[in-house]
Formats: sequence, C-alpha cells, structure tokens
Amino acid sequence: MAIIERPAPTAPILLRAPVTPSQSMGIVRRPVTSTGWKSWVFTVDHKKIGIMYGVFAMFFFIVGGVEALLIRLQLAAPDGKILSADLYNQMFTMHATTMIFLFAMPMAAAFANYFLPLQLGARDVAFPRLNALGLWLLVAGGLILNSSWFLGGAADGGWFMYSPNSGPVFSPSNGVDFWTLGVQIAGFGSLIGSINLIVTILNMRAPGMTLMKMPVFCWMILVVQFLLVFSLPVITVALVLLTFQRSFGATFFDVAQGADPLLWQHLFWIFGHPEVYVLILPAFGIISEVLPTFSRKPLFGYPFVVFSGASIGLVGFGVWSHHMFATGLGPISVAAFSIATMAIAIPTGVKIFNWTLTMWGGKIWYSTAMKFAIGLIVLFTIGGLSGVTHAVAPSDTQQTDTYYIVAHFHYVLFGGMVFGLFSGFYYWWPKVFGKMLNEKLGGWNFWLMVIGMNMTFGPMHILGLQGQPRRMYVWTEARAGEGFFNFGFWNRVASLGSLILAIGILLFLINVVHTTRKGKPAPLDPWDARTLEWITTSPPKEHNFDRIPVVHHLDDFFHRKYQEDATTGTMVQIATGEQLVRDEEANADAHIHLPSPSYWPIAIAIGVGTLGMGVVYGVPIMIVGVLIILGSSFGFVLEPSVADDIDYDPPMSGGQDTKELAPLG
Amino acid sequence: MPLRRIGLGLAASSAIFLAGCARNAPQDTWQPKGENAEKINTLQWMVFPLAGIVGVAVFALIAYILWRFRDRGQAIPHQSHGNPAVEITLTIIPALILSVVGVFTFKGIFELAQTNDTQMVINVTGQQWWWEYDYPAQVVNGVEITQPIITSGQLVIPTGTKVLLRETSRDVIHSYWIPALNGKKDAVPGRINLLRIQANKPGIFAGQCTEFCGLSHANMRMEAVALGPEDFAAWIANQQRNAESPAQATLAQEGEAVFLNQCIRCHQVNGLKKADGTAAIAAPDENVYSGAVPNLTHLMSRNTFAGAKFDLLTADCRKNVWSASPDEFGSAYLKGVTSDCLNQTNLRGWLRNAPAMKPMYADPTKLAVSDGKYRGMPNLGLSESDIDKLVAYLSTLK
Repeated sequence: MAIIERPAPTAPILLRAPVTPSQSMGIVRRPVTSTGWKSWVFTVDHKKIGIMYGVFAMFFFIVGGVEALLIRLQLAAPDGKILSADLYNQMFTMHATTMIFLFAMPMAAAFANYFLPLQLGARDVAFPRLNALGLWLLVAGGLILNSSWFLGGAADGGWFMYSPNSGPVFSPSNGVDFWTLGVQIAGFGSLIGSINLIVTILNMRAPGMTLMKMPVFCWMILVVQFLLVFSLPVITVALVLLTFQRSFGATFFDVAQGADPLLWQHLFWIFGHPEVYVLILPAFGIISEVLPTFSRKPLFGYPFVVFSGASIGLVGFGVWSHHMFATGLGPISVAAFSIATMAIAIPTGVKIFNWTLTMWGGKIWYSTAMKFAIGLIVLFTIGGLSGVTHAVAPSDTQQTDTYYIVAHFHYVLFGGMVFGLFSGFYYWWPKVFGKMLNEKLGGWNFWLMVIGMNMTFGPMHILGLQGQPRRMYVWTEARAGEGFFNFGFWNRVASLGSLILAIGILLFLINVVHTTRKGKPAPLDPWDARTLEWITTSPPKEHNFDRIPVVHHLDDFFHRKYQEDATTGTMVQIATGEQLVRDEEANADAHIHLPSPSYWPIAIAIGVGTLGMGVVYGVPIMIVGVLIILGSSFGFVLEPSVADDIDYDPPMSGGQDTKELAPLG
Repeated sequence: MPLRRIGLGLAASSAIFLAGCARNAPQDTWQPKGENAEKINTLQWMVFPLAGIVGVAVFALIAYILWRFRDRGQAIPHQSHGNPAVEITLTIIPALILSVVGVFTFKGIFELAQTNDTQMVINVTGQQWWWEYDYPAQVVNGVEITQPIITSGQLVIPTGTKVLLRETSRDVIHSYWIPALNGKKDAVPGRINLLRIQANKPGIFAGQCTEFCGLSHANMRMEAVALGPEDFAAWIANQQRNAESPAQATLAQEGEAVFLNQCIRCHQVNGLKKADGTAAIAAPDENVYSGAVPNLTHLMSRNTFAGAKFDLLTADCRKNVWSASPDEFGSAYLKGVTSDCLNQTNLRGWLRNAPAMKPMYADPTKLAVSDGKYRGMPNLGLSESDIDKLVAYLSTLK
C-alpha cells in the first residue's frame, strides 16, 4: 500500500518503514527492477498501469473497429454474402462487447489511473497492488472473451445476452460461456478499481483541495466509480446465474421450469443503463478540463456541472426499464420510466449549456484537443436530442430495435465518448510521453472522423425511421422501398462513411508512430493549462510531485501563473509553468515512500483466468485455478508494502531504512 | 468552421424531418395506417420538431460563440465562474419543454394500453423463426368463427375493427411489429402481452421480428393483411373449410401420398386422411423443439411462406397484390396463389434443401442439446419427382 508522507514544513514527521522480510512469502525475491518488461508486468505505479490500460484499450478499439467494418461491409448491399448468419451474430455481439468492456471502460480507466493522482496532487492511488490486480483481471477477461474466436466460435446472443436465447439449447456453442466468464472477470477488475479510486479521491487529495476545488474530471471519475460499485454487483449476480444455468444445470432462466425471462432483462439493464453513464461521464470530465484550458476561462458554473453529473449518476439508476418499453411492463411502469428518462435530459442539457457558455467570452484556441471537445458538444447534442425522442415511450415502440437506436447511441458513444477520449489523447499526450502529437495530422484526424462519423451514423437515423431493424445479418429489397429513402443508398453511404472513419482513426495511429519517432519534445506547459498535473515534469517522475502541492483555488496551477489586474479585470501572467516546476524541484520533500512492485496481482489474475477456463473445460482446471488464487492471495496478503534494501539491484544507497526511489531535487 | 457546424446541424435535423415524408418503404414508421399508429405518429410530430428546433438553436449559439470568441489576440479574460441566474433559467426552460412533452406522452401511453373496447381477439405466437396466428371461435362484425383458425406468416384482420393480439412465444423472446398499425410488443415465453391494432383501409402491411431471436432472426418476417367486411367474411369461410383430397390418378394425388409419408410428421393439413381412412394427425411436438410448425391447410391462401421470407407469388403477381388500390386489394388477395402465379423457384428450392435457403438448426448430427429435436425444417432428401408431386399437391391447398 502506498505510504504517502506529507511532511509539514516546520516539523517533518519521519515514518520508519516496517522492517520486513526481503522475500515475498519467503519464496521469491521481490521484483524491483525499474527497466525492462518486468518493470511493467509487476509494476504498481499508477502511471505505468494507466499506460498499459491505454495500450490494451487501443488494441481492442482496433479489434472492435475491424468487427464494425466487417458488419458495414456485409450490410453495404442487400442479401450480403461476406458473413454467414452465424458469424454475423457473433460479430455484432463481440463488436459491442469489445467496444464497451475492452475499449471504452479500460480507456476511461487509463485516463483515471494516470491523471487522477496527478490532478489530486497525490503520489499514487490508495491501493497500488489492487490497481495492478484490476488491470490484470481485465486482461484475463479480455483474453478469455476473445479466445472464443479460436475455440469454437464467439458469443452470438448480442451484448445484452437476453435469456432464454442465451440458454444452453438456443446458444449451444461455448461462445456464451466465454462471454459470461470474460465479462465477469473483467467486471471484477472494474469493481476492484472503482473502490480503489473512490478511496483515492476521498482520502488522498492534496492539502487545501476541498471537494469543490477538485477538477471536474476527478468529480466525473468519482461519480463513475460509484455507478460501478452499485451496478457491477448486479451484473455479477446475473452472470453467475447464467453461468450456473449453462454449465451446472441450474434453471434460473428456463421458462419450462417456471422462470420469467424478464428477470434477466431487469438485472441486465439495472447494470446496463448506469453503464451508459459509466462510459460517457469520463469523456464529459475530459472535455470539462479541455474547454476551460483552451477558452482561457474557468468552467462556467462549476457546481452546476458537478451536481448535474452527480444527478445524472443518481437518476441513471432509475431509468433502466426504458430499454424494455416493448416487453409488456404495463402502462404505469412505462409511464414512470418514460418520465424519469425525460428528467435525465435536464442535467444533461445543463452540461451542454455550461460547456457552451464556458467558451462565451473566452479566447478560444482551436487546438486538436479543443476541436474534439467541441465535436463532442455538437455530436452528443444530436445523440441527446434523438434520445429525447425515444423517452416518449409510444414513439420508442416504433424506434426501438431499429437503426434509429443504433444511430442514437453511436452519436452518444462515438460522437460523445470517443471524441472526448481523443480530446484527452491530444491534450495529455505531452504530459504522458513528453512529446507533442502532430497538430497538423491531428486536424486531418479530427475532420476525417467528423465526416466519417456523420456519414456512418447519420444515415442510420433515416434507415431506422424507414423501418430497418437492427441485428439482422441481411436486409432485403422486399422491405427497402424506392426513391430517396431506399435502404440501398443509405446503407452504402453508411458503409462508405465507416471506411472514412477508419482512415481517420488510422491517421491517429500514424500520428502516434510519427510522434514517437520524430515528435518534438513537449514544453512543460504546452497548453497554458490549469490543473495540478502540469506542475511536474513531463512525463512525471515516478513519485509524481517533488513537493506535494498545497491548493488554494480551483484550477490552482492557473492561479499560480496568473493574477487578476484589479483595474481591467483581465488576467496578467506572473509566472510561467517552467518556473513553477523548477520551484517545486528546488523545494522537494526529503522522504518519499513508494510501494514496491509485486508478483502477486498478475499471479492472482492468472489464477482467476484459469478458474474461468475451468468452467468450460472441466473441474481439474478449475482446481488448478483455485490453488493459484489461494497461493497468490496468501502471497499478496503477507507481502510487506515496501521491499527490503537488499532486494534492490544494485542495493539502494546509504543503508537507510527508507527508500528514495528517484533522485530528488 | 462555424458554417460547417450549422450545416451539420441542419443536415441532421432536416434528414430527420425528410424521413417523415417518404412514400415507399413498407416499414416506414411515419406512415400510420390505423388508429394506434396514428396516435404514435402524433407524438412523433410533436417531439421530433421540438428536438429539431432545440438542436438548431443550440448549434446556432455554438457557431456564434466559435466565431465571436476565437483567439484574435485579446487579453486572457476575467475568470468568471458562472452566473446562477442564467444556470437556473437554462435548467427551467428544458424542464418546462419536457413537462409538456411528458403530459402528452403520459396520455398516449394510457390510450395505447386501452383494451376494453376490443372487437376481435387473435392469439399470436412466435417461435424460431415464424409467427403462428390462432383465431379463437368468436363473432366478429356479425361473422361467426365457429371453429378456431390456425394460420401463419400473414395475419388477416377486418378493416375498422379493434383487434387485440395476445402475444406469447414458444421458445425465445420475439417482437411483433407492423409499423403501419402500431409499435412493437415483445412475445415473451411464459407471458401474454397485449397489442391492439386497427387498420383503416384494406391493404397489406409489412413487418419484421424486432427482438433478436437467434440464428435466423433476420429471416423472421410477417405481414398484416386488412380486408373489407365482405372479403373478410369470405376469407373466414374459406379458412374454416377442410382440405379435400385431390382427384384420383393425378400428380397431386401422388403428392398427397408423399405428404403422408414425409410431411405429416410435422405439418398438419386439416381433413387429410391416411390410406386406411383415419385422420392424419401431425406430431410436431415429437420432432420440433418449439412443438409447432405451420399448418398448411390453406397454404396457397397466403402469399409468403417460411416466416414470410419467401414469396409464393411470382414477382409480377406479388406486385399486383402489394400495389393494389384499397378498393381492389381484397379481391387481389383472396385470389390466393393461382397456378400461373406460383413461384416455383422458391417452393421447389425449399423442398429440395430448406436449411440452404434459411439458416436453421436442422443438421441431424448437431441436435444433442435439444434432445434430437429440430429448430427449423431439415433437408428431407426428396427426389425431384417427389418434389414435382408435392408441388402439385401443395398447389391444391387453397
């Protein structure tokens, strides 16, 4: 666990590190290398874990994207022949599952892991080893999910996996088993991570940073973690029920045994709707940092943005049945959920207005990060407004399960979430890697994504309102109509748009490669930013801050750089970011404790993954998994937080009983 | 850039509006043909324009801001943290708009749920991957249905009549959707869901299963057919009739023998007798997982088969039915599938190898999980001469 000292300037408190055995469980020496692959695999550093989350998510963004392209290729013409019905059903199931569980959530986790401690002025998260465990469980889940492609076919029941279609008779391949276990294990990772981040936010903010002086990004992450803590257990239960039905003969969703298949739908959407906000709120947080920075103004109505985010989180738990308007809930339930769904549009609208008014009176710098943030506002507004049209439940019974819904949630999730994440990439790349992403390539990246995105998902509004249902591996001329609204034309436009979108994203990858090879070193404060992550070097040192900052303002970094001119009301620069960073280095804390790397998080994750595979391949493998989990859990628990000196190679200098992992000053 | 944004906003909202004016897609959700769909359409015409107006207003504001406050070298502005009065106003305005929408939505939900003045009841049952319709004995508009009618694929209803569909499913969840007549309602196994439809004029209205229901979900279609009072009475009279055996020494009679040898295991033809004169009773429950297969007694009175995926009519004849005016529609539909209109390609292809035409779980070696029962029609390995005979026989099932 992290031991973060905050020595008072006058009377430093010196904690003695516990005198501990040098070997974890008395068997193996602790991993302490700071270079090479071991320094990544066994790390507990939130920054390295954040980067690994990001790499993992980006890989699966590409996988999910290829799946999407295959889907669009199949639907480009009537009676498509690229994919069989079976393969198509697997493809759309895995596209959604991959994008949600293996791209969107991990990418949000990447940002949260990397920037939360930095924005809070902390040296790591509260439970660094749990942090690593969360990452490796996610990796295990992702591998299990996608191993199904090579082990008899992927899941084919849709990401919502409605019973009874997900039962053993209707989905006989092992795909659904891999899906259930993969999502379950990835979910454990998220749950562990969320508790970790809640504790971090509540307990480890820098001195002076009250909750209402905390950056909005941290606020949104906090709301998201609470959503996860309360919603993930529900899907966990549902997945356990499904696993037992499929693998151990239980009958939770077997109608012949008297089960009600709507039980699954309620459980799934009580998780699934908050999940929507889990996906979008981190992006809201990112642009709530980007918009003020590039408008040179604080966020308009900070408390309104914070509380609207919190109320979106709260009301988000009360609207799940709007996914079920056609299931026959009865008019009273439908009316209640219809009204609740309209209510959630209000705090969402508040956010849009506040972002817009943040730019009002500003001095707008159209960097790529800012373009993506503005793109989010516009595209998310379209998605939000189409969302209001299906809050009207009777209207929704015409739209649900058509391409209109597909258009709606891609405007929200691609136009909203993905654009927010890309805004974050361009904004924080120099912080993480010390190099600037190319802005010119960034411009092309942005405009191709805007055009591709609107060409792909815009026509789906028309297709849906013309009655093209979702999740169909072919569409037919018999239902296509003629003239302007012919399915054929708009499906071709959408498929062409998906190619443009893919090229846009490819440009981002090219930009990354180009930057890594030839990018120019980033200045310490390239955007004239506002929050604490910029008050340290880029990339930050292992211990983040030489001196734990003391916070006096919202946007403290900005207020250390600028002072208001009393007569004109405009802001006058009093210091540069570089000067501030040098000042921190000159006044570094004397003793900085950081937790040591550990074998056990990844070992436990391997055990959990083995146990999962055992559910499909038999009890002996399950036993092996359980033994690995038990053994490594003991290792995890008995391991001291800091390794002994002699574990270091070369041993740490001075023979002191505290470690100074990085040269200070 | 601001122009581009205005363009984007306009394009998106005008696309939504224009979608309402289309004439030609049979599942268009903006072309109501009956009372229930009209109620929904009224709500659509309220909320879509409202959303469009709000969208255009927001985009105009954003465009103005992006142009007005671009960096022109001005000083870094005063660090204002917001304006509570503006905030509260901008919270209240959307809340008021949504309250108005909410009131009408509320009214719409309860009106659409109304069932107490129903004039006719039909049981609608979904299974992989077709719909069965079961008309209980009842008196509809003075026409008496004396014994239950069982049909599939095409739902036939009288015009101007409030018809209550009682939906359920025999396997997984399906969803019944005829956009011109009403919104969707799921068919959930173990539950009965109610959906009221009504058609103003005679015509044929396309639909599609809209809850993902497994392998061939895309191929689970249906149509609703509305007939005027006299045509509907004629249809009822025909459906209550038993099938008659074909004349002696015809190809069709040989086809009947093939049917009795093969098809009767699952497919019922009312009135069909075995060689010994006893009634031939199909036993789909022994062979098919859902326990039901389409009743073929009046196959040729419908003009689609296999989950309404394939036409029994040739393209020209199909066009005559689909594009008939409301006045002529009834007679065009009641003609059924005449011999010159029969789509031989589809029907023969299906008899030759059904799973090749529609993905189904019909491979006898892979039925262990379903106790050896099929989900869909298997390849029967019929000879070409058997197929000739069967087509001749099936053509008599008017």
